[in-house]
Amino acid sequence: MENGQHQQSFIQKYIFSTDHKVIGMQYAINGLLMAIAGGFLAYVFRYNLAFPGKDIPLFGQLSPMQYNTFITNHGMIMVFWVGMPLLLSSLGNFLIPTMVGTDDMAFPTLNMLSFWIFFVSSIVLLLAFFVPGGAYGGGWTMYPPLSANAYMNPNPDFFQALFSGASLMLLAVALEFVAMLMGGINFVVTTINKRAKGMTAFRIPLIVWFIDIASVIFMFAVGPLVAGAFMLLLDITVGTGFFDAARGGDPILWQHLFWFFGHPEVYVLLLPSLGVLGEILPVFSRKPLFAYKSIIYMALFSAVLSVVVWAHHQFVSGIDPRMATFFSIGTIIISIPFAGIFLAFMATLWGGSIKFTTPMLFALGFIGLFLVGGLTGLFLGSNAFDIYAHDSYFVVAHFHYTLFPDIFFGFFAAFYYWFPKFVGKDLDKTLGKIHFWLTTIFFNLTFFLLFFNGLAGEHRRINNYSFFGNVNKEPYTTFEKICTVGAILLILSQFVFVINLIKTLRSGKKAAKNPWNATTLEWVTDSPPKHGNFDTFPVVYRGPYEYSVPGCNEDYLPQNQEN
Amino acid sequence: MENKMTAQVSQGKVASDGLVGMIFLLASEGMFFAGLISAYIVNRAGAMEWPPANQPRLPIEVTAVNTFILLLSGFFIVRFRMNNRNSQTEAIKSKGLIKLSLLLGLIFLIVQGSEWVRLLHFGLTTRSSLYGAFFYTIIGAHGLHVFAGLLTLLYLSNKLKKQVGFNMKSIIDSCSIYWLFVVVIWPVLYYLVYLS
Repeated sequence: MENGQHQQSFIQKYIFSTDHKVIGMQYAINGLLMAIAGGFLAYVFRYNLAFPGKDIPLFGQLSPMQYNTFITNHGMIMVFWVGMPLLLSSLGNFLIPTMVGTDDMAFPTLNMLSFWIFFVSSIVLLLAFFVPGGAYGGGWTMYPPLSANAYMNPNPDFFQALFSGASLMLLAVALEFVAMLMGGINFVVTTINKRAKGMTAFRIPLIVWFIDIASVIFMFAVGPLVAGAFMLLLDITVGTGFFDAARGGDPILWQHLFWFFGHPEVYVLLLPSLGVLGEILPVFSRKPLFAYKSIIYMALFSAVLSVVVWAHHQFVSGIDPRMATFFSIGTIIISIPFAGIFLAFMATLWGGSIKFTTPMLFALGFIGLFLVGGLTGLFLGSNAFDIYAHDSYFVVAHFHYTLFPDIFFGFFAAFYYWFPKFVGKDLDKTLGKIHFWLTTIFFNLTFFLLFFNGLAGEHRRINNYSFFGNVNKEPYTTFEKICTVGAILLILSQFVFVINLIKTLRSGKKAAKNPWNATTLEWVTDSPPKHGNFDTFPVVYRGPYEYSVPGCNEDYLPQNQEN
Repeated sequence: MENKMTAQVSQGKVASDGLVGMIFLLASEGMFFAGLISAYIVNRAGAMEWPPANQPRLPIEVTAVNTFILLLSGFFIVRFRMNNRNSQTEAIKSKGLIKLSLLLGLIFLIVQGSEWVRLLHFGLTTRSSLYGAFFYTIIGAHGLHVFAGLLTLLYLSNKLKKQVGFNMKSIIDSCSIYWLFVVVIWPVLYYLVYLS
């Protein structure tokens, strides 16, 4: 029950801290460091694709096996070690206690444990690069028989098999899920039990709703994957043969268990970012969020649907056509709630007095780019088209158009928006805008042309296309080179962000309490909030989006303002 | 300086933090077992013969008695919860029920272990067939949960020795509902793996 008055040692305060803000910061730093690792892997294999066989600057020669390892780990890292910590854990930790108006999480010690387990999981994942045989290279989905066969023989040596790339990856993923489960339980319990007085269900800001819905989807969907991972780990280390067809097992079973989690995971990553938009768009168009309740209902609807669409990843794995039709229809239906949410966001902008600040630019960029990803997803959801496009660069371009805006635009929007609050310094506006424009331009340069390569039949997961006549010709080889140049420039333009960050931390102006004139509770307290967040606990009198209310002096009414 | 933080004016709790958190954890755990069970059913439906001819039969009768023991243990936990619904001093009074529950759970685990040793002796191993692999995986996963449940009961009965703490209700709620989950899921597994 200390509240910032008593002295804590450095280790208590910044390393093994139970303060949700420090833990949020730790998650953000860990996620960004992993993003550097994932980005470097992307640079190496993109360079190899454009100039096969050439020496890669800063790396050297890339062998085909290393290429496989790199694309596998790039996928793993970006989804589970960048997307999850940045969007779910970091934002959830910063925002949920401050936005519902309480001092900390419901279980602070569990929260600290959550981060340190996550940290260990990152180490285990990276450790796999240094074991004999190297990290796992059979694709981030770890389909058996490739994954189970990595060390499969009737009598695997348990310890040798345990320290193979595939096992370590499974262990890292399992640890990461334990961490996320602890975090998710904390988010949900904090929201349910620790809200400020007057914070009724429909006065909770959208992002808190969305992070909680995402956590619940995660908790519900992760069980079967853990069961599958447990079985796969036994296959590798003990030699059980669950996924070995020769012994009566079923390799397709893994795909079901994996995608039962894997598809809801997409919405676990998407919902927090949409929540960020839900906070930023009203503030910078000075209008209430359009259809706040409907947005929540649509998110709940999509959460239910998200667990019955998984097999659309398996249209070419030998699925009964009647089942394929079912999953096609489910997949196309799930676009309806998200279309509704985006429509509500558009309506929020309509007629508003829009201010193009850096977070607003990232939020609008998110909408524009995600639209391309979402619409191409509709094509892929139909199994007739998917059978043609499956495992091609069309799919690669599609999911980068969804996940890149989602993870990075969503995170950067949140970062530029809440940085003044939680660090207490104003970021440089010009550098922020330069960062946005460079990122947007080079992102499109990197991924747009890949749609055409995919439609021409370019298969993903191949390190050298010299032997594929259909794509080893103009313009596709040029497209590959343009993509690589785009990717390198995209990575380089992130240095603008780093420079901005360093400059602000060294000589940034102290941020005001409420620089954006926003209404939610985190803007009531100091910047940065001290240990315990609030001097006196706020009492809530109104909903979170009361902007431009007629007859008021200010154009916004904070949630804790009476009358 | 006066401590302003302790009295948060809050919107009110739905249930104790421990109970709400444990419900979400158990939803996740339930899905974990659902994953294992569905994998089992799918593989079994595709098998030529189940159980395979050259594999030993599972000990149905001993396990039936064992099931009864575990259910009895669950019954005592329910009695414990009903006794102390109103006050926490009653919880301390009826902590004997926890010890009874703990003892029965321990007997269950020991009997399961000795049956495993016998089955291994008869040639049912994780590598002998998928039948064996599924048996040891599903029952083993449950066994690990029983073990964890015994640790939580031990923790709970130790907590009840001392004075009532400020988060006692959270601890009582979460520990007892976790044990109840371990007990309730067992008959389902027994039916699917041993009987059907």
